[in-house]
Amino acid sequence: MLQNISRRLWTCATVVVLCAVAASQQGAGAQAANTQAQPTPAQPNEFVIKNAILLTATHGRIEGGSIHVRDGKIVAFGKTVNAAGSAQVIDAGGRYVTPGIIDSHSHMALEDDINEATSPIVPHMMMQDAFEYTDKSIYYALAGGVTSAMLLHGSADMIGGQAVVIKTKYGLKRDEMLFPNAPRSIKFASGENPKRVFGDKKQVPSTRMGNFAVQREALQQAREYIRDWDEYNAKVQRGDKEAKQPKRDLKLEALADVLRGNLLVQIHCYRADEFLTEMQMAKEFGYKVRAFHHALEAYKVADEIAKEGVAIATFTDWWGYKYEAWDAIPWNPVMAMRNGVRVAIKSDSDDYMRRLNQEAAKTMRYGGATEDEALQMITLNAAWVMGVENRVGSIDVGKDADLVLWNGYPLSTAALVDRVWIDGQLFFDRALPGYGMPHWKEGL
Amino acid sequence: MRHGGIEDRGQWLVRPATVVGRLSLAAVFIALFAVAGAAQQKKTTPSSQKGVTKTMAAQPIVIRGGKLLTITKGVIENGVLVIQDGKITAIGPSGTTVPKDSRVIEAKGMTVYPGLIDSETHLGLTEIEADPMTNDLVEISDNVMPHMHVYEAFHAETELIPVTRLNGVTNAIVTPTNRDTLPGQAAFIQLDGKSAAEMLLVRDIALPLNFTGDQRRNESFEKAKFPQTRMGMAAQLRQAFLDAQDYSRKLSEWEKKSEAERAKGTAPKRDLKLEAMLPYLEGKRPIVLAAQKGSDIQVAVQLAREFNLRFVLNRVTRSQKVLDYIAELKVPVIVGPIYELPKETERYDSVFRLPAELHKRGVRVIFASYDSHQSRNLPYAAGYAVAYGLPYEEALKGLTLYPAEVWGVADQLGSLEAGKAANVVVATGDPLDVKTEVKYVFIQGREVPLDNRQTKLRDQYTTR
Repeated sequence: MLQNISRRLWTCATVVVLCAVAASQQGAGAQAANTQAQPTPAQPNEFVIKNAILLTATHGRIEGGSIHVRDGKIVAFGKTVNAAGSAQVIDAGGRYVTPGIIDSHSHMALEDDINEATSPIVPHMMMQDAFEYTDKSIYYALAGGVTSAMLLHGSADMIGGQAVVIKTKYGLKRDEMLFPNAPRSIKFASGENPKRVFGDKKQVPSTRMGNFAVQREALQQAREYIRDWDEYNAKVQRGDKEAKQPKRDLKLEALADVLRGNLLVQIHCYRADEFLTEMQMAKEFGYKVRAFHHALEAYKVADEIAKEGVAIATFTDWWGYKYEAWDAIPWNPVMAMRNGVRVAIKSDSDDYMRRLNQEAAKTMRYGGATEDEALQMITLNAAWVMGVENRVGSIDVGKDADLVLWNGYPLSTAALVDRVWIDGQLFFDRALPGYGMPHWKEGL
Repeated sequence: MRHGGIEDRGQWLVRPATVVGRLSLAAVFIALFAVAGAAQQKKTTPSSQKGVTKTMAAQPIVIRGGKLLTITKGVIENGVLVIQDGKITAIGPSGTTVPKDSRVIEAKGMTVYPGLIDSETHLGLTEIEADPMTNDLVEISDNVMPHMHVYEAFHAETELIPVTRLNGVTNAIVTPTNRDTLPGQAAFIQLDGKSAAEMLLVRDIALPLNFTGDQRRNESFEKAKFPQTRMGMAAQLRQAFLDAQDYSRKLSEWEKKSEAERAKGTAPKRDLKLEAMLPYLEGKRPIVLAAQKGSDIQVAVQLAREFNLRFVLNRVTRSQKVLDYIAELKVPVIVGPIYELPKETERYDSVFRLPAELHKRGVRVIFASYDSHQSRNLPYAAGYAVAYGLPYEEALKGLTLYPAEVWGVADQLGSLEAGKAANVVVATGDPLDVKTEVKYVFIQGREVPLDNRQTKLRDQYTTR
């Protein structure tokens, strides 16, 4: 654990997604085009999983259920489905099927490129540029049932870079692994990490006052940047030939997109007072906070967080690794949820990512989350944090066929992942020799 | 197994020092448990602390109706367990005779099992990981520090221990972290007591010997210190044990001298570092030999054999290619953390499957949390090993009986048997599952409170 601390201290942070820059759009487009063409082994375009216990996340539990998948989407599910006779039938033999697990806070496959800690304001960093799509951690996550993940900038900076959202289609090309057209997220941080990182360099911020001053100053610059461009565009519109084009600034463009509401703001934040300050700052500048990450003291001000419609992406039982984690309690997720907060359980760890089902199950013990509630924390609610809740996160008609077949009750210590489908394609099968991946043959 | 009854001169069993002569460890344990137990009974009587038994010291406790996981005698459904004077005095099926005027705990639908033993923690050596002032984890000025005694830093009042008890962990090895090859001697604690004196059951119980590569001082070429390499580590360790042998020889030569000879000479200078190694050179206490990959394991084992050290293996998370070799060593193995990521070239479950693979080869597998704040999650590592093929009974033994044997306390701990100390847990279900909630924990027959810093915060903000 100790060896992990320094990494954890560095990585625990916020999120950033795709930049306004065209690169991400191109990437997403390329991915969408290739998804269907890619599978190495021939896989059926249409199949039915029958004789399963479906834990749907949105429609409760369906015993003896079936799911009908076609063209990568769920087209029907229930006690029975009507599929074409040509559809392949997979007998689950009474095993459990859940939606693919979604990790709304990960730093996997970013090698050591998690924190651009040379300045406290780096919103123009694109995690996609560091995404090492052949990193084995993606395979480990896949084998643990994770089908989508948000890879975030670290928490060294008050305003970090923009996240890349992926599907764990290990073995495919980089652009094929990007979550098509996922909303852009940006990572903010607060508290101990930024003040330590820059304080150690004898720079601002070295206190929480400094933290927020730096953040406010940057947002103010973004306001002025928007104003300068608005004025310029208005002049051009009026036909003013003398209009002088302001300098394009990637950093300020990214911040401007925060103020314009084009970025989901994901804030690494531990302490109760800091949630309040961050929400106040958001009001001051007119943007919305999507989620507080870590959020270990959410239980202290859960009603205030709920009032603002902010979610939390939290751990179940991590605590004590630093001062701002000293008041962490394992009842936090359920206490926050009972006060109306949307709660996701996330990993922030290449290790825990492989067993998020167990982390979610702990909320059933600490506070009595129901089966549906516990499952939602690692599926639908995590999808909401990333803004993809209409496309993944539950077994629902029209959603991506991201599904996990388990050999036992998933919300327990005892269950293993047997198979994982993403967009209706089989990406992991424990029974296969070697790595257990039809799309990856290297080694062994 | 060799670890059942460790002979010792007894100076390492510090409390109660006055009664420790040349007793066997087992005998010392009985004495120690009796003293500590009596002290605790006295303490609990007037206690008004929430959750603490208010019964008189002598009142027996009967736990009935539960599913008893005895560890040594199988499972007793709807069983009866009697606790008296800190001991388990009877265990059996429904209808087992119980003392009059007992306090009865109805355990219908619940599971009853012996307190869990965590075989590597740093409980009492750390509070807030990021704050150096709250950490006494390891002395890194030198790699060879066998004279460091965990008991001299053990902070009995740590907030971590009540949190850990909440999941039924009643005993633990407390050891320095593995930055040094010989970081100091571990202590065996129980997770309850009014002071460090009561909680430290065995002050110096074992000496970790770490050979994982993490002990190299190889930060950079400019800042490197000896040993910068594994060759350096091995040479340094070998020299240390040679020095200790030499020291031992000088001491015994001096002891053999007559009064007259001694009067003429000078006694060997006392060397605390070398002195600390003597019980291990003499095989009186075990070395806990931690290595991960096969080559490191073999180097460390060779070293241990050169000096005839008694050892158990620890970690072995990169040993997939030498499992048969490990089995041939015929020593128990503390395996983990099983959550370590596999090697780049390996299948995703190569570490998860290690306990099962070792068991298949006849190895006794023991579990540890290798943590402090998350020591409470110890049983889930065993549960996950079961998911990956370890027989359930073996997983339970790896948390109870096997560690009790390795640490020389199996006559007192590790199973539900009449005559053993009453370290007993009552929980809502399978001890290895994350959803199971512990309802009662007894340590030496005393019901320990299950509230802690975290439950207090929960309650404070629930009623707000």
